[in-house]
Amino acid sequence: MKIIDILAKIDRRIIYLILLVVVILPLIFPSAQSVRVMPPVEKFFNAVDNIPEEKALIIDFDYTPQDMPELEPMAIALLRHAFKKRIKVLALSLYVQPLGLAQRALTQVTEEFNSTAETSADSIIYGRDYVFLGWQVGPILAMLSMGESITNFYNIDYYGNRTDTLLLMKHIKNYNNVGIVAALSPSDIPRYWVAYAQNRFGVAVGAGVTSVSASEFYPYLQTGQFSGLMIGMKGAAEYEEMVEKELSVAGRRKASESLPSITYAHLLIIAFIIIGNIGHFVKRRQK
Amino acid sequence: MKKGLPLILVFICGILGIIQYFAPHPVVQDTDNFFRNNLLKILAAFALVLGLGSLLKVHMDKIKRKRENWQYSWVLIIVFIITSIIGLFGGVTGEGPLPTRIGSFSFDNQTIYDNVIVPLGSTMFALLAFFMASAAYRAFRARSTEATLLLASAFIVMLGVLPLGDRISPHLPSFAQWIMDVPNVAGQRGILIGVAFGILATALKIILGIERSWLGGGGE
Repeated sequence: MKIIDILAKIDRRIIYLILLVVVILPLIFPSAQSVRVMPPVEKFFNAVDNIPEEKALIIDFDYTPQDMPELEPMAIALLRHAFKKRIKVLALSLYVQPLGLAQRALTQVTEEFNSTAETSADSIIYGRDYVFLGWQVGPILAMLSMGESITNFYNIDYYGNRTDTLLLMKHIKNYNNVGIVAALSPSDIPRYWVAYAQNRFGVAVGAGVTSVSASEFYPYLQTGQFSGLMIGMKGAAEYEEMVEKELSVAGRRKASESLPSITYAHLLIIAFIIIGNIGHFVKRRQK
Repeated sequence: MKKGLPLILVFICGILGIIQYFAPHPVVQDTDNFFRNNLLKILAAFALVLGLGSLLKVHMDKIKRKRENWQYSWVLIIVFIITSIIGLFGGVTGEGPLPTRIGSFSFDNQTIYDNVIVPLGSTMFALLAFFMASAAYRAFRARSTEATLLLASAFIVMLGVLPLGDRISPHLPSFAQWIMDVPNVAGQRGILIGVAFGILATALKIILGIERSWLGGGGE
């Protein structure tokens, strides 16, 4: 009976310690894990892949450092996909805090491509291949106003350039020139893109969300309002898998590398729940 | 007048916000464009300044009255001033008129963000995993039929979304996907419809001046 007592009352510090070991060890010795790509991510990939040459991809970076482990790999994979396929990218943030992370992701992927580029045509050039619109007040205002004119609302980009002087912006006027909006957000923002940009202007929307908020977004996927859905680290790993397998884009796959940690942590939590329940039932029977 | 004017403004703006969806007439659309591209941007900028002013005022007051943990208010004010100056005059990555590099030590906006905000934010959120593990062990009990069902579906979804789930059985990820696609969507859709009706009713009450608590004074 003593064992049952111990199992029913494991000290929280022991739980913390075991979890710490289980999470950290696979991160110290990383190995990218292969995953089966599920339909929501496959749809997202295909929607981006089929963007016509004359249209752009809008990436809405709305994640903060708190959600970065889940959502940044999605942004990196999306940028690799877009740059490899020469899809024009408009990057923006609807809030201030994600701006630094957007800048980080753009710099990283641009450097990855430019380090192997031999000519100007191979390179990823700011203003020609992508534009970072930065931030403007009012998330909903931005969504609505871009339906009429992107350069009118975003007069200047993140670096202070006038957007109407940038080469890319001469072809991208409003949502008519946008293939899909990829909203990477831990909050309700993907829903707002559907309500304000899609319902009124008909632009396609795809969402990258955190695991904890994913269940709220399934109705939008089922109705076709979302062209695709990436959920948490696993969704990001699936997109990384597709980018590497379908487009042969090599690069560090952070989400795939983190999957062993997530797997072991989940198994540990399941084990603790089972142990807790065994202790609970035995004690109840004793009473 | 003190309450009448805000009510009239809210009524006009509320009606304009709705009507632009139903009336494609250029006058309506131009008015809407003017509101969004000019008026609301200016208002939002004022709100931002007001918010920052209010934040500083609260913390200055805290220091003045030596309220609990007043020392941290100094940290906020000093950091606010330093980062504002760097942000305003140093540029995003140090290309502004203010020098943001001393030797190899860089302190531009992006460097501060990468080395202070990102680690702090990530650390705060990472702690959650430990509390969740401990809480799941202590509180997730199969005490009733409903709780047992919840527990079973949680196990299936957790295992189904992991790469391991596919190795246990190729049907497990599909079953987890079914749980998310069917029972989950049914529940979520009900919640969404309920919330939408609630928003609609509240918006109408505010536009028509029935709900006045936003004016302050609890609608008196």
